[in-house]
Amino acid sequence: MDELGQIKAGSVSRETPTWRWVTDRGLRIASGDATLAMYRRLCDANLSEINEVVPADGSLLLVMKPGVALPAVLSDILNEEQGRQAAAPGTKQHEIAVTFDGEDLRFVAAQTGLSVPDLIRRLCATVFSVKFLGFQPGFAYLEGLPEALHLARRNTPRTRVPAGSVALGGPYCGIYPAEGPGGWHLVGRTEAKLFNPAARPPARLQPGDTVRLVPA
Amino acid sequence: MIIVVRPGMLDLVVDLGRPGYRHQGVPEGGAADTPALIHANRLVGNPDSMAGLELTLRGPELLFPEGGVIALTGADMDARVNGGRLQHGEAQELEPGAKLEIGMARTGARGYLAVAGGLDVPVVLGSRSVFLPGGWGGWQGRALRSGDRLPAGREGGQAEWLRMPEFTPCPDCCLRVLPGPQLGSFSDKALVSFLDQVYTVDADSNRVGIRLQGVSLEYQGGELASQGVLPGAVQVPPSGQPIILGWDGPVTGGYPVIAGVISTDLPRLAQLKPGDRVSFRMVGVEQARMAWRRAATWLS
Repeated sequence: MDELGQIKAGSVSRETPTWRWVTDRGLRIASGDATLAMYRRLCDANLSEINEVVPADGSLLLVMKPGVALPAVLSDILNEEQGRQAAAPGTKQHEIAVTFDGEDLRFVAAQTGLSVPDLIRRLCATVFSVKFLGFQPGFAYLEGLPEALHLARRNTPRTRVPAGSVALGGPYCGIYPAEGPGGWHLVGRTEAKLFNPAARPPARLQPGDTVRLVPA
Repeated sequence: MIIVVRPGMLDLVVDLGRPGYRHQGVPEGGAADTPALIHANRLVGNPDSMAGLELTLRGPELLFPEGGVIALTGADMDARVNGGRLQHGEAQELEPGAKLEIGMARTGARGYLAVAGGLDVPVVLGSRSVFLPGGWGGWQGRALRSGDRLPAGREGGQAEWLRMPEFTPCPDCCLRVLPGPQLGSFSDKALVSFLDQVYTVDADSNRVGIRLQGVSLEYQGGELASQGVLPGAVQVPPSGQPIILGWDGPVTGGYPVIAGVISTDLPRLAQLKPGDRVSFRMVGVEQARMAWRRAATWLS
């Protein structure tokens, strides 16, 4: 490690992703397409120095116990060949009933050159998969959106997006479990409850699960 | 039981938070100034993990029909029991029917009130802390209001004789930071500016984020994919004005992170109020670990 506490490239094997501190409690590891596989290996390894592993978009955040050094076996675990494939947790398939009457539905249709019924058909024909959770409790980043429907976020985010809103942002579809601010394009809404603090796990959609939108 | 006669600016039920749910989108939350809550709990003989009140800038007026033992720590708030002064950082026994009036913070932003026996609100995801952005946890998922009747435990343990680090007012606070994951994508000028200037804490700051005003920082990198973030991460949105993520902040973020406040300095961040000045000093990860171990000796 150099003065700044960053692992120098070249001090470990070629596949070693780049490691960076977010704070002294959080090590960010660029994990690319291997994010979910690395996430599962790290969870399986159950290292005492690591409180939690948080998958995100092409990176993992290792939440460390404060004051401790990085576990020596960390790079071995991250670089492990796919041979010892960690058992994938049972992935669930969800159908979410959506009323397609979002404020931005016409805007999205116009931007993508589709009619509103065609836009809805394309959204309902997509099998999304949950890439990771973030932003707010139970908010799942759903990947699989056809490229023709990728749109830049709104220039000015809304300060209040109602709970249950179904929205598109960049390559993702997302459903707001609770009211909050949001910069994505609203295409519909659902009555589905996506976060329940009394449930285990509290979020209904989990990484690896598949999701289809169906007209309500 | 505690009756709220008049609420303060923002009175929240907090404990040490709910670690382990970030991958579900749920931040730890909990007391912003953790050592101050632990201090208050120990003064009244509670285990460190018991729930107390986090009082922001101005405290409430509370009635204790059954009496109790209390202690107030953190920000130095003007506090009176039945008109007589309550000593900051000392346990005090209250007679049944006692009235506690807590006023403005003289130094710091957040005071912590512990009650022997703790506050007995339901445990949600392993914690009694309120999560305001989601409207759950704590007392009915919100800040206290007039007329609330908070269930409080009756029995405390043996109060400890304590000598804790005193709260030191920090009007020109310098927070120690590690270089963040996107530090390299800021212009040299931005980096120098970030470390040289004195920022002002914006009024639009809360437990989600502490907004700073200063010379705008120029980010030269491209669009960023959402990455995991933590309290203390210094994000720079397109405006160039940094936001330090707070205790109830989102678990992932799409803005570049220029630096990260070290864990040891988060309690100092908790005590910043709008208008306070703050600057940053870069340290290495080994210094951050040593600072934590030094600060944590009194916690063990």
